[in-house]
Amino acid sequence: MGRTTKFAAAAAASILVLTGCGSNSDDGDSGNGGGGGGDGSGSDVKVGLAYDVGGRGDQSFNDSAAAGLDQAIEEYGVESSESEAEDGEAETAREERLRTFAEAGFDPIVAVGFAYSSAVGVVAAEYPEVHFAIIDDSANELDNVSNLVFAEEQGSFLVGAAAALKSETGTVGFVGGVETPLIQKFEAGYVAGAEAVNPDIEVDVTYLTQVPDFSGFADPARGKTAAQGMFDGGADIVYHAAGGSGGGVFEAAAESDNLAIGVDSDQYNTADPSVQDVIFTSMLKNVDVAVYTFLTEFVENDGEVEPGTTTYDLSVDGVGYSTANEALIGEFETQLDEFKQQIIDGEITVPDAP
Amino acid sequence: MNVRLTKFLLGLGAPLLALALAFGITSLVLIAAGDPVGEVWSTLISWPEQRNQVNIINNAMVLFFSALAVSIGFRMNLFNIGVDGQYRVAVFAAAVVAGEAWLPGYLNTALAIVAAMVAGALWAGFAGLLKATRGVSEVIATIMLNFIATSLVAFLLAKLAVREQGSNIIGTKLIPEGSRIGGFSIGDAPAQVYGFIVFSVLAGLAYWFVLNKTRFGFDLRATGASSTAAVASGVSVKRMTILTMMASGAIAGLVGLPILFGSAYNYGSTFQSGLGFAGIAIALLGRNHPVGIALGALLFAYLDEQSNPLQILVGVSPDIVAITQGVIVLTVVVSYEIVRRYGVKLEQRRVAAELEAMRTTSKQTEEVAR
Amino acid sequence: MTSSPPPADLEKTTTTPSGVPAVRLRGIGKRFPGVIANDDINIDVARGSIHAIVGENGAGKSTLMKILYGVQAPDSGTIEVGGTEVALSSPADAIREGIGMVFQHFMLADNLTVLENVVLGAEKMHGIGGKARTEIRAISDAYGLGVDPDRRVEDLGVGARQRVEILKVLYRGAKVIILDEPTAVLVPQEVDELFGNLRELKREGLSVIFISHKLDEVLSVADEITVVRRGTTVATVDPGSVTSRQLAELMVGAELPTPSTEASTVTDQVLLSVRGMGLADSAGGRPLLSDVSFDIHRGEVLGIAGVEGNGQAELVEAIMGMRPGSTGTITLADVDISGFSTHRRREAGIGYVPEDRHRHGLLLDAPLWENRVLGHQTRKPSAARGLIRRRAAVADTQRIIEAYDVRTPGPDVLARALSGGNQQKLIVGREMSGDPVLLIAAHPTRGVDVGAQGAIWDHIKNARRLGLAVLLISADLDELIGLSDRIEVILRGRLVGSFDPSDVTPDRLGSAMTGAQEATA
Repeated sequence: MGRTTKFAAAAAASILVLTGCGSNSDDGDSGNGGGGGGDGSGSDVKVGLAYDVGGRGDQSFNDSAAAGLDQAIEEYGVESSESEAEDGEAETAREERLRTFAEAGFDPIVAVGFAYSSAVGVVAAEYPEVHFAIIDDSANELDNVSNLVFAEEQGSFLVGAAAALKSETGTVGFVGGVETPLIQKFEAGYVAGAEAVNPDIEVDVTYLTQVPDFSGFADPARGKTAAQGMFDGGADIVYHAAGGSGGGVFEAAAESDNLAIGVDSDQYNTADPSVQDVIFTSMLKNVDVAVYTFLTEFVENDGEVEPGTTTYDLSVDGVGYSTANEALIGEFETQLDEFKQQIIDGEITVPDAP
Repeated sequence: MNVRLTKFLLGLGAPLLALALAFGITSLVLIAAGDPVGEVWSTLISWPEQRNQVNIINNAMVLFFSALAVSIGFRMNLFNIGVDGQYRVAVFAAAVVAGEAWLPGYLNTALAIVAAMVAGALWAGFAGLLKATRGVSEVIATIMLNFIATSLVAFLLAKLAVREQGSNIIGTKLIPEGSRIGGFSIGDAPAQVYGFIVFSVLAGLAYWFVLNKTRFGFDLRATGASSTAAVASGVSVKRMTILTMMASGAIAGLVGLPILFGSAYNYGSTFQSGLGFAGIAIALLGRNHPVGIALGALLFAYLDEQSNPLQILVGVSPDIVAITQGVIVLTVVVSYEIVRRYGVKLEQRRVAAELEAMRTTSKQTEEVAR
Repeated sequence: MTSSPPPADLEKTTTTPSGVPAVRLRGIGKRFPGVIANDDINIDVARGSIHAIVGENGAGKSTLMKILYGVQAPDSGTIEVGGTEVALSSPADAIREGIGMVFQHFMLADNLTVLENVVLGAEKMHGIGGKARTEIRAISDAYGLGVDPDRRVEDLGVGARQRVEILKVLYRGAKVIILDEPTAVLVPQEVDELFGNLRELKREGLSVIFISHKLDEVLSVADEITVVRRGTTVATVDPGSVTSRQLAELMVGAELPTPSTEASTVTDQVLLSVRGMGLADSAGGRPLLSDVSFDIHRGEVLGIAGVEGNGQAELVEAIMGMRPGSTGTITLADVDISGFSTHRRREAGIGYVPEDRHRHGLLLDAPLWENRVLGHQTRKPSAARGLIRRRAAVADTQRIIEAYDVRTPGPDVLARALSGGNQQKLIVGREMSGDPVLLIAAHPTRGVDVGAQGAIWDHIKNARRLGLAVLLISADLDELIGLSDRIEVILRGRLVGSFDPSDVTPDRLGSAMTGAQEATA
C-alpha cells in the first residue's frame, strides 16, 4: 500500500498547528474586516484544481478539497482556478482539463478523485516540468506526480466500533454509494471495528449502484430507501459512504428515530439542522489536510515536492472520527481513543478489503 | 431547375435558423446569469488547438455512431432510447473478446467488432421482439434494458475485472498491442485521431446506401412514413420492427469501440458513459442524414471541448455548454418543423400553379377552337 | 334558444329569396400565390332553406367554406349575415354571427357523454349540469334529432354522432349551419334520416348550407343549388328544373362519362376462388366474416354491395393477407395463396386499390416515384436484386402519369401535393402495373371529382377487357350496377344474395343490403 513517508508525519503535525492558526487568523480577519489575501501574499503560484463530479459545493469530498485550497489561498495568497468533471465524461475530457491547466501555466495541478488516475498519468508525462497531485489513487509512479491517499479503513474502524458500542439492537448498517474498491475499504474497516467491539454484531451492507454507474454518489432518494430498509430490518445505526446520497440516509434515520454516521467531512456541522441530532458521528477523511499539506510543501520548497505516495492515516490525523455530537459520542471517547492508539501502534491491523 | 435549389436552401435554412435562435437564447441566459457574454462567445468560437481538434474528431466519431444508431430507428418511427445500454453491453463484449485474444492481431480486432455488433443487435432486438410480438413500446423496453445493461455489465465486470495495484479503477484485461487500432496525428498534438474513423465513414456510407438504395431501406422508410400503407404494400411491419431495432443496435455496438481500440484498451469503471442520449439530440440535429449527423456530432464535440477553457479561463460554469446544446436541439426541432411546413406549402403552391398554367393553356385552346 | 318565425313561403322552393338573405356573399376572392382558389363568388342563402353547393374536388368549395367559417380571410368581397356586413377572422367570430359548421370528420370525444361533448368549450352558456341537459333535450325535441344527452358517444352509430355534431352547433346558437359532405359516411337509411332532420331545421327557420358530391341527394333535399367550378360560381339553379346529369355537366363543364359497361367479356376460366372464408372478431362479437365463398372469372367484374361495416373491408383485407386469423382457402390462377404473405400475394398478381388511399395507398410525404415503388419493392422495373432502381421507377412513374392522366408537374412531386382524384389515378396506374391477374378496387371513386371518376371507371372497364378478374367494392350503387357483371350482397359478414346488374334497381339492392325485415336496425 505505497509508502508512508516520514514527511507525511512531519507535515501533518505542522498542519495541525497551521489549522489551528488558520482558524485563529480567520477570526482575526473578520475582526479586521480584512479583504482577501492572507499574510503570505505575493506568491506567484497558480494552482489548478480539477474536481470530480459534483465540484465545489457538494458538501462532501470535493468541498473538502476546496477547503484545503482555500486555506492555502488564505495562507500563501496563491492564485487558483477550478474546473469540475461531468458525469460519464470521456477519458479525453479529463485529460484535456488537466492539459488546459498546464497550457495556461498552472503549476501545481491537483486532481480530485481516482477517476483522474490515467489522465494524470498521460498529462503528467506530457508536461514533466509541471507538478501534479492526485487524491485517492496511487497508481502513478512518475517523478512529477504526488499520490495522496487515505487510510479510510482506519477511520471507518473507529466509527464501526462506535456504532457497535452504541447499538442496542445488535444490528448496524452500511450504505455504500458505488461498489468500488475504494468504498469497499470503508466497508471493511467499519465491519472490523464493529466486530472488534461485539463479535456477534450483525452488519447489513448495501451499495446503491455498481460501476460504471456512479449515480449512487448523488441519489438521496435511493440512499433513503436503502437506509429505511435497514432500519425496518432492525438496525439502529447506519453508516454511509455515499457522498450526496447520504442526505437520504440522515432523513431515514430522523424519520425512524434512529442514528446515522456521516462520512468525509464532519457532517454534524454541515448537514441540514433538521437531521443534525441523528448524526451520531462522522468518519473524517481530511482531504483538505492532504491538499493543504501538498500545497504548503510546494510553496515553501519553491515548487519542489517529493513525488510518490503519501498515505494519510490515523497517525497523522488524515482520517479520524468526529466528536461534534458530544451528547451522544462523549461517553465512548475513551474507548475509541484506545482503539485509535492500538491502530497507530500497530496492535490492530485493519483490513482494507471486505 | 430552381426547384432543387429551393429544396437545398430549405434544407440549409433549418439548421442555420436553429443555430441563430440558439445563439440568441443562450446569450439571453448568459446575460440573465450575469456572465460575460462577449468573452464566453469569443472563447466558445475560438479556433481549437491541434490537440483539441484531435479530441473533437475523436469525440465526434463516437457521437456519430450513437446518432446513426438512433436515426435508423427514427426513420421507422422507432425511438431507440436504448443506445446507451446497447453500446455498454457491446463494448463490454468487445473488451472481453479482445482482451482474451483468442485470435492473433487484427483477426482478434475483427472478432471483437463482430462481437460488439452482435451484442448490440441482440440487446436492441430484444426490445424489437417485445414490440412486434407483445406490443410493448420500444421506449419503455429500451429504457428498462438500459438499466439491466448497466447492472449486468457492472456485475460481469466485477467478476472478470482485474485491478491495478494502487488504483481504484477496475477494468477488463488490456487488449494486446497487436490488436489495437492505431491512429494518425494532427500536427504535433500529443493524442492521435482514432484509426476507427475509417469505420465511421464506412458506416455512414452503408447507412445511406441501405436506406436509400435497397429494398430493406425502402421498406423501412415506408413503414416509418405510414405503417398502414406499408402493410398494404406487403411489408411485414413486425419483421421490420425487429430487423430495424437489430440494425440500430448493431451500429450502437460500434459506439464505444473507437475509444476501446484507440485509447482505453480495456473496459473499466471510468469508461465514458451517457453516449446514447447525446445521440438522440444529434440524430435530430442531423435530420437522420449521415452528413447532417456527422456535422451535428462535430458541433457537439466541439462545444464539449470548448467547455474546458470556458471554465478554467473565463470562469463560467460548463453547464452553459449543456444549456447551449439543449437549446440547439429544441430550436432545431422547432425550425425543422417550420421549414418543413413551409416547404410542403411551397410545393403545393407550385403544383397548383403549374396545373393552373396547364389548365389556362388548355382553356385558351378550347376558346380558340370555338 | 329563440328562432325567428318561419317565412310563410317556406316549403316553396324558390330561386328568388324572400326578404333579407341569411347569408349573402358578394365577389368573394381568395388567391394563393400562383393559384386563384376563389374568384368572384356570389351566393345568397335564404332564411329557412337548404342551399347546396356542388363542385368538383379542387373547385374551391372548401376554401369558400373556410372563408365563411372564419378560418381564412378573403382577399376581396363582402360577407353579409342577416343584412349586415361582417368580418369573420376566426371560427369564434363565425359562431358569434350564428354560423356553425359540421365537419366531415367528427370532432367528438368518444369516451365522453353527449352532454359533455356538447358543453365542451361552451360551458358558459348553460353550465355543465341540469340546465345544459334540459337545453339539449329541448333542442333535440324541437328539431327531431332524438339525441339522449347521457349516452356515451362511443356507443352511438355514425348517424347519431352526426346528429350530436349538429346539436353542438345549434346549442351554440347557430342560425346558419354548414355541412361538409355529410352523407359521405352514412348508409342510405341514415341519409334519409339526416334529410328529415335538415327539413326540420329549415321549417324552424334555420338555413343549411350543404356541400356534396352526390348529385341525386342534392337534388332531393336542396331548395337551391349553386355550382362552383374553377373557383367561381357558375350557376345557381332550381333543383326542380335540372337533372343530375345536367348538374354534373355544369360542374365539369363537359360531357360526362357513364359507368355503364360494354358487352360481357366474362369467360369460364376462374381466376380467383374464395372458399369458406371466415374471420373471428377479436373483441369476441359475432364473426366479421363467415363462410364467404365466391369465384371471379377472367374478364369479370364482381361487385360487392353492402351497408358499410358488414364485412367488406375485412373481406378485402383477408384476401390481401392483411388479416391474421382469417380462415378458408384462396386460390388465385390455380395457385393456393392462402398461406402467402401480403407481399407474395401481390407478387402472385393482385393489384389493390385500397379504400382509404391516405392510410393504405400512399406515402403522402414521399415523391410520386417512391409511391410508384410502394407494393412493387421486389419487382421490375422499380427494383431488382434487392435494390431500388430510382431511374427506372421515375421513368415508369412518368409513364403512369401520362397513361392515366395524373395531373402533376412531374414524378418528383410529393403525393400530398396532388388532389384526391389524381392521387387515386396514380394508385390505379400503379396497381395495374406488373401484369396483375386480379384487381381489387375498394371504393375506387370515393372522394374523387367527377372528371377523375370517369377516368377511373374507364380504367376498371379496361382491366376487365384485358382479362383481369376485378373485385369491386362500392357504396355507390349506380357505380356497382354500372360496372359489375355480377353483384353479391354482403350482410353481417355473409354473402346473402346474388344479383344480375342488368335487372336490378338500387332500391332492390338497398333492401337486400339491409336484410329487408331489419330495415330500421
